[in-house]
Amino acid sequence: MLKLLLKKQLLEIFQVYYYDAKKNRARSKVSTVLHFLLFALLVFGLLGGIFTFLAVKLCTPLLTAGMDWLYFALMGLISVLLGAFGSVFNTYAGVYLPKDNDLLLSMPIPVSALVGARLAGVYLMGLLYSAIVILPAVLVYWGTAGVTLPAILGGLLLTLLISIFVLTISCMLGWMVARISQKLKHKSLITVLVSLAVFCLYYFVYFRAQTMIQQLLTNAAVYGARIKGSAYPVYLFGSVGVGDVKASIIVSAAVAVLFGLMWLLLSHSFLQITTATGKVARREYREAPSRQRSISTALLCREFSRFAASPSYMLNCGLGTFLMPVCGIAVLWKGRELFAVLDAIFAEPPDSVPFLLCVMLCSLASMNFMTAPSVSLEGKSLWLLQSLPVEPWRVLHAKIRMQLLLTGLPLLLCIGCTAAVYPLHPMHLLMLLLFVGSYTLLMALVGLFLGVKMPTLTWTNEIMPIKQGAPVMITLFCGFGYMVLLFVGFMFLPGWMLGFLGYMSCFVGANLLLSVLIYLWLRKQGVASFSAL
Amino acid sequence: MLRIEHLSKTYGNKKAVDDLNLHIAPGEIYGFIGHNGAGKTTTLKSVAGILQFDTGEIYIDGKSIRTQPLECKRSFAYIPDNPDLYDYMTGIKYLNFIADIFHISAADRQMRIRKYGDLFELTDDLAQPIAAYSHGMKQKLAIISAWLHQPKLILMDEPFVGLDPKASHLLKGMMREVCDAGGAIFFSTHVLEVAEKLCDKVAIIKGGKLIRSGTMETVKGDDSLEDVFLELEGESC
Repeated sequence: MLKLLLKKQLLEIFQVYYYDAKKNRARSKVSTVLHFLLFALLVFGLLGGIFTFLAVKLCTPLLTAGMDWLYFALMGLISVLLGAFGSVFNTYAGVYLPKDNDLLLSMPIPVSALVGARLAGVYLMGLLYSAIVILPAVLVYWGTAGVTLPAILGGLLLTLLISIFVLTISCMLGWMVARISQKLKHKSLITVLVSLAVFCLYYFVYFRAQTMIQQLLTNAAVYGARIKGSAYPVYLFGSVGVGDVKASIIVSAAVAVLFGLMWLLLSHSFLQITTATGKVARREYREAPSRQRSISTALLCREFSRFAASPSYMLNCGLGTFLMPVCGIAVLWKGRELFAVLDAIFAEPPDSVPFLLCVMLCSLASMNFMTAPSVSLEGKSLWLLQSLPVEPWRVLHAKIRMQLLLTGLPLLLCIGCTAAVYPLHPMHLLMLLLFVGSYTLLMALVGLFLGVKMPTLTWTNEIMPIKQGAPVMITLFCGFGYMVLLFVGFMFLPGWMLGFLGYMSCFVGANLLLSVLIYLWLRKQGVASFSAL
Repeated sequence: MLRIEHLSKTYGNKKAVDDLNLHIAPGEIYGFIGHNGAGKTTTLKSVAGILQFDTGEIYIDGKSIRTQPLECKRSFAYIPDNPDLYDYMTGIKYLNFIADIFHISAADRQMRIRKYGDLFELTDDLAQPIAAYSHGMKQKLAIISAWLHQPKLILMDEPFVGLDPKASHLLKGMMREVCDAGGAIFFSTHVLEVAEKLCDKVAIIKGGKLIRSGTMETVKGDDSLEDVFLELEGESC
């Protein structure tokens, strides 16, 4: 039974690789393999590359200092943090909210098998995120210290233990969210706020970790002794990767106990939470005069309703909207000191600080890609728009407008806060506005282009189009690649020779040119593709 | 009101609808019956402009759904077999959204929402999110939204599925009212007793082909519609 459910769960997760929703038929084997390769390249090639770089940086100094365990402890903790952070947001939706829960519960399926299958989905997500860090770490270690049997066994065991530990943490947090949300009135908003708090905590730890890593590298022996003395479990955890038998047994037992407790908790509460109707008071309808809105406004409001109703959508595809005001306030608070430091560090090439501002704002805007999953999110209710007297372009336009508004307004706030503490030359400010504006437009159009080209309308859990859909993945990496190109071109390549204004003008021009091309495609082929879905 | 001419639609190698011709005049309730997979939903979706068909033409009030989709869509309402509405909206938000699309004035929409909401005993639930609605409640909401803009033509795919007896009775009355006011109804159903009592005309489809159509009397003669349907099904086999 569990095998069957697991197969279904895996098919659901990787549906997009096997099934072409646009052509309504299974993909060819070649196409499936190519899709998997592209995914592997993006995830492991790009993200894995970043962590390989970190591992290389840490490995030799720590190994030279005889602190192999500290290397694994550090990389392991980063892996746990990334794994838990990556999968915690969809654990609640993935375990308790799939649309086929009712159907499966009505069948002669043991609840434990259903819980097991749901956990397999969470486990895979956690494994994916944690493996991006820990696998390069293990491989770099083998490359540096040599491939020995204890190192092989230790590395593999550590990877396995981390993935199970990540699953345990994600499920615990998912369970907490489920319990709390049963009694909440404004679930979406509170879920977003709590998740943002977790997000801030993550970054707090992350930035502290950066400083700590630097200090650790310079005083590895001192800190190593201190951690071993005061945080012995961390020492044991790191020692697993080296192949220490005693540490492996103790950590494995601890992880197994924690996992067992989590399993007990989940299997006992799953049925109650899944079938609960909620104890929130029923909202009474009171007739109130309504206002007649234009079709465009109605469609825009519909997009906002969709966005505001889903914490997963808000957090995964609209994080920038929430973070930009926070960053704006942070700039007002600590901006003067920050810019003084930046001015001192980046005296060369000239105008580096306004340029870095562009990169920072660009990275914040890149966190918003609501248009990418928006077509897929129409799902089974797509018939409504198709049967209503609405031009398809208006629907697509509403999606673009939502992203522009939810990105543009917070960006303006951020720029305003920055300009208040770091007076920019009027031309620099104008260029900043032009660049950020054109980039925001480009990202909205790219997301929608991919959304129309690669829609998945047959999902059973909205997490699929929001988090695992190809349009989202590709848009995310497009934004990431764009930032790298922008940064490297000015800081490391001769882009700075054009000067800030010249260099940024090229990007603004390219943004606008690409935007016009994609806009024209959307107006013609995009509309036709959307109508034919 | 609705004219379907030589409509054909193929999925891969399977011909879902094969050279279908139908004419639904104002004032008619037209039933569309056939076994599962006969081509009823494909036909209705093609008329509603949801599905692009291969050949043929569909005219609504003299306008082609292919060349003038917006004009056609302004004059009809469509209710699918499974009302997948916007779960993230409340009932009232959804109705207001539909009213906005059809440019219904604030006063008119308020009056109609109250009228149909009360009729289907859904008014008290309009502030609830649609996600919390049962299948029957969603069906009622879909019906209210269809009637909201007073369309000339109403297309319905299995409209009685999920409705309680009272709501079914109400719907039948509302269908008759539309036709008495010069409108037309084209709906599919598996409930042959309902079709027999309610429809002015009926069409039977099998394997995508129209095998019989006309007034209820012409199609069934002295037999029951069920007997005729089963006999035709057998013949075709």
